[in-house]
Amino acid sequence: MTADNTIQSTDTKRGEDSQSGYRENWWQYFTFNKDHKVIAIQYLVTSFTFFLIGGLFAMIIRGELVTPPSDLVDRQLYNGLFTMHGTVMIFLWIIPSLVGLSNFLIPLMIGAKDIAFPFLNALAFWMFPPAGILLMASFFLPSGTAQAGWWSYPPLSTQNPSDPVLNGQLFWCLSIVLLGVSSIMGAVNFVTTIVRLRAPGMTFFRMPIFVWSVLSAQLLQLFFLPSLTGGVLLLLCDLSLGTNFFEPFRGGDPVLYQHMFWFYSHPTVYVWALPVFGIIAEILPAFSRNPLFGYKSVAVATIGIAVISATVWAHHMFTSGTPMWMRILFMFTSVLIAVPTGVKEFSWTATVWRGKLHLDTPFLFALGSAAMFLFAGVTGVMLGAMPFDLHVHNTHFVVGHFHYVVYNTITVGIFGAIYFWFPKMSGRMYNEGWGKLHFLLTFIGANLTFFPMMPLGLQGMVRRIASYDPQYQWWNVIASFGGFLLGVSILPFIANIIYSWAFGYKVSDNPWHATGLEWTTTSPPPKENFKEVPTVTLAPYSYGRPQYSTVDSTDEGAVRRHHR
Amino acid sequence: MSNFIPSRELPKQQPQSQTGAQGSDPESNRGFFSDDERGKVLFGMTSFLTSESLVFAAFFVAYSALRFSSTNFLPAGVSLPNFDTSTIIDTVVLLSSSFVIFLAERALARRKLNLFRLLWLTTSAMGAFFLSGEVQDWLKETLKLSTGEIGGPFFIITGFHAMHVTVGILLQTIMLIRSFIPHNYDKGHYGVTCVSLFWHFVDGIWLIVFTLFYLWR
Amino acid sequence: MLRILEFLVLGVCFAAILAFSFWLGGESYSWMPAQASTDAQRVDNLFSFLVTMSSVIFFGVAGLQIYSLIFYRAREGDYTEGHPSRGNRKIEIFWMGIPVLLVLWIAGYSFSVYVGMDVIGPTTVLGDLPVPLVAEPAEADTVNTGSQSDERVADTVNIGSQDDERVEVISKQWSWTFLYPSKNVTSTELHLPVNRPVRLILKSEDVLHGFYVPEFRTKQDIIPNRPIELRIVPILVGKYQLHDSELSGTYFALMGANVYVESAEDYAKWLEQAAAKTPVIAATNQAALEHAQPPKRLIRSNWYTVLPAEPPIVNHSG
Ligand SMILES: [Cu+2]
Repeated sequence: MTADNTIQSTDTKRGEDSQSGYRENWWQYFTFNKDHKVIAIQYLVTSFTFFLIGGLFAMIIRGELVTPPSDLVDRQLYNGLFTMHGTVMIFLWIIPSLVGLSNFLIPLMIGAKDIAFPFLNALAFWMFPPAGILLMASFFLPSGTAQAGWWSYPPLSTQNPSDPVLNGQLFWCLSIVLLGVSSIMGAVNFVTTIVRLRAPGMTFFRMPIFVWSVLSAQLLQLFFLPSLTGGVLLLLCDLSLGTNFFEPFRGGDPVLYQHMFWFYSHPTVYVWALPVFGIIAEILPAFSRNPLFGYKSVAVATIGIAVISATVWAHHMFTSGTPMWMRILFMFTSVLIAVPTGVKEFSWTATVWRGKLHLDTPFLFALGSAAMFLFAGVTGVMLGAMPFDLHVHNTHFVVGHFHYVVYNTITVGIFGAIYFWFPKMSGRMYNEGWGKLHFLLTFIGANLTFFPMMPLGLQGMVRRIASYDPQYQWWNVIASFGGFLLGVSILPFIANIIYSWAFGYKVSDNPWHATGLEWTTTSPPPKENFKEVPTVTLAPYSYGRPQYSTVDSTDEGAVRRHHR
Repeated sequence: MSNFIPSRELPKQQPQSQTGAQGSDPESNRGFFSDDERGKVLFGMTSFLTSESLVFAAFFVAYSALRFSSTNFLPAGVSLPNFDTSTIIDTVVLLSSSFVIFLAERALARRKLNLFRLLWLTTSAMGAFFLSGEVQDWLKETLKLSTGEIGGPFFIITGFHAMHVTVGILLQTIMLIRSFIPHNYDKGHYGVTCVSLFWHFVDGIWLIVFTLFYLWR
Repeated sequence: MLRILEFLVLGVCFAAILAFSFWLGGESYSWMPAQASTDAQRVDNLFSFLVTMSSVIFFGVAGLQIYSLIFYRAREGDYTEGHPSRGNRKIEIFWMGIPVLLVLWIAGYSFSVYVGMDVIGPTTVLGDLPVPLVAEPAEADTVNTGSQSDERVADTVNIGSQDDERVEVISKQWSWTFLYPSKNVTSTELHLPVNRPVRLILKSEDVLHGFYVPEFRTKQDIIPNRPIELRIVPILVGKYQLHDSELSGTYFALMGANVYVESAEDYAKWLEQAAAKTPVIAATNQAALEHAQPPKRLIRSNWYTVLPAEPPIVNHSG
């Protein structure tokens, strides 16, 4: 690689001047800071804390399921634990951690100084910890936490055994509404940022796929979250104000709640998954040195997924007393969503095909996520085939399928993103060996945990049960073992990140030799991201041609050290 | 290694860096709005109101679905919400306040600051009048929150709307106070525009609420 | 030369994947429980088809990824560029078009399976069957107050052919009761005659429940105050387990019942014998038993719970 082919990102060398006052001030993370990069770290750290809490709940659940009888926790607590596990993982881990990543990356990727409304951004963040604490506080109520599952289907959720005010379900509803308001603020911010604050030359079809994904995901939030917020508000009224919206014996309709709930809660799966698909599309090209295959069709597929996902919600309700025409209609729309999703999977596969693959940790996580999503996808299409769904609905087959989505695809993808952009966030490099160990444990643990759920579901083991028939024990023991392994797998990650943030060696601005505007600024980026407003003249993912090479020769020594 | 997948030409661009001098590419200025503060704020406000209107839409759909399907929509001996002249007066006042706020905004655009303050205050007063009328309507109402499938929707939806009216009046008050800060409008007045937009939204929603509870008999 | 070799290797791999997938589709029948209803056979055929199809896609694409992982690694420290190919219109159209056809095939096949199935679902979207409320139910938010008069409800669902055996299924927290209107027999076990269509009228007295017998391969949620019919044709004599399939509260996991599919003679004999017994309070309600005597547990929350409803009064309790 000759020097004149090498792109010097900006003429600033990694300027210590730009770093001072940004990274050293650790206390800024505990303040109402309006810098999107600080807010991003706040989101990531807070949500990861909740991930550990939700993981602990999962561990207790798996512990209970090692043996057929209910012998570890009592049944109320078991119901509370899986309800909280689902709620925490979705609303306090996946959504906020992706909001954190988006917060860090979107302004950098489109060449903006900050997010559109920094004050609103900080406000949205500071609503999130109180909502989480409120949810956790319900553990200390005499009636305990909400125990009706993260769906909170009435009339079970409005059945109230103790106090009409101090009950876990009310805390749950308030927490969800609070998080909903926070998410809407976030959505307004992201959509406005992406539409209005792009740098000169950053046309829509020059945006990286991650930006496309966040745009689609946040549009989904904007249009569909109101349905959940509305539904939960009505549930809250039924619970505490004595209205009858969903009370079957007073003329209300419990199925109406299910429609309102799933009208958001199906699209929300894509609010989580799309950004992760975006992450995969960023990481794979960088480590295979190929452009993303079929960029335009992937961008259009992103929007396509968002649009189709609005029309499939009733596939969660095939057994809910749904009439025949609805069952058939939603079966057709549901399987159709596999088409744009397939476009993405095929594009990733074609991207690594005949590349020059570098098996660094981010790449392993991204490809692992893509491969396990393949399994999630084919089982998803199976579930779309409605007559089969009538058998496995509400069994562990469904649990296995969506954990292949939420853990093996989304959470694994988020880990990949953290490793990939860690040098940009901290200016330092993580430890590669510990990263690989984390991947290995995660990959084995995740498959050991969630694959056994598929045969269990086929055999008819219902989900959300604390005790089960002894015939199901064998697979359950394996799943529990995998679950504990997953718990262990987090440890090298925590150690690696904390140690590297403090003592990792300093890296160049672009240690992965990746394209994308975020790699053209310093690591970590200065206060307003770029020394001067960048102008974009290239399509994204300009890998594969020597004249666009981004190999940064200022840091060869560090790269070699990293791989030792 | 040869390529299994045939290559396509890259878009014809200068093989330079991604960053560089502005204007080297005719397309380079597309999508560049960073300095358009007003456009940004109005875009954000519009997307927020879209989302907010969908919360109302969720309530409206729930109410309509229950009205069509529930066997206990209107229990025997109960009638639909009172519909009398006071409701009509409230409605007329609220809807015409949309016109007043429009005039206020126009006055501001022409830099007639005192006229703006007068009209702005009139809007808030009309909103307050509507609110007090609404509270009186609630007190007179024989329906309760637990009455069939009409009581809950009626109080929750009108209450949720009244909450928005209250927020609108609060925002108007803030804007009124800020109008006394010298040079407050030197950079434009999109804060006022946003509040005005919000007020039109609140009025529009009332039109639907009014239709659903008073005209749909 | 190398390229021809590669094509050859890939071709052989693909053929192997195809063969394996067909074998897997055949195997898939053994992953399911016994086929105890006509619908079970249909669902299993669909599942086998889905497994074959999924397996081709999964191993095909994952195979390409693994192949890349093995054969396309960069040499250490080699950060030169890969290939410049940004896409290929034909390939992109191909992998958009083929999946469209595949999913339409899946949906079409599922549709034909569903139309042929004996199960019939509800017909309207929200709260069908205008069941007028008899009385305003109790005010308090307590539970298990909603028990409505069952005979009245049964009359309103008088659809369907007369020669189907009719059984009312009454669910409440946390017990099942089965009412045989022809002989006015109640039971906590579900007995069904083999090879004869049976109509279950599903009712709930408190919250949502779900009727699920894995061997029958079908499932239906039960909605309070809205009876739903489910039609099943059992074809295999045996004892099965009924599970509640929609979360119904604290003792959800204990809400099961035995299901016996019997020959016509055995069934008639059982019905006869049960009718002769005088109704008594069912003794074996697992939820009530556990509530009265909670087993030892490592972690106890002692959170309040909804109490188990009164055990049903039945002729036959199993
Ligand atoms: Cu879904």
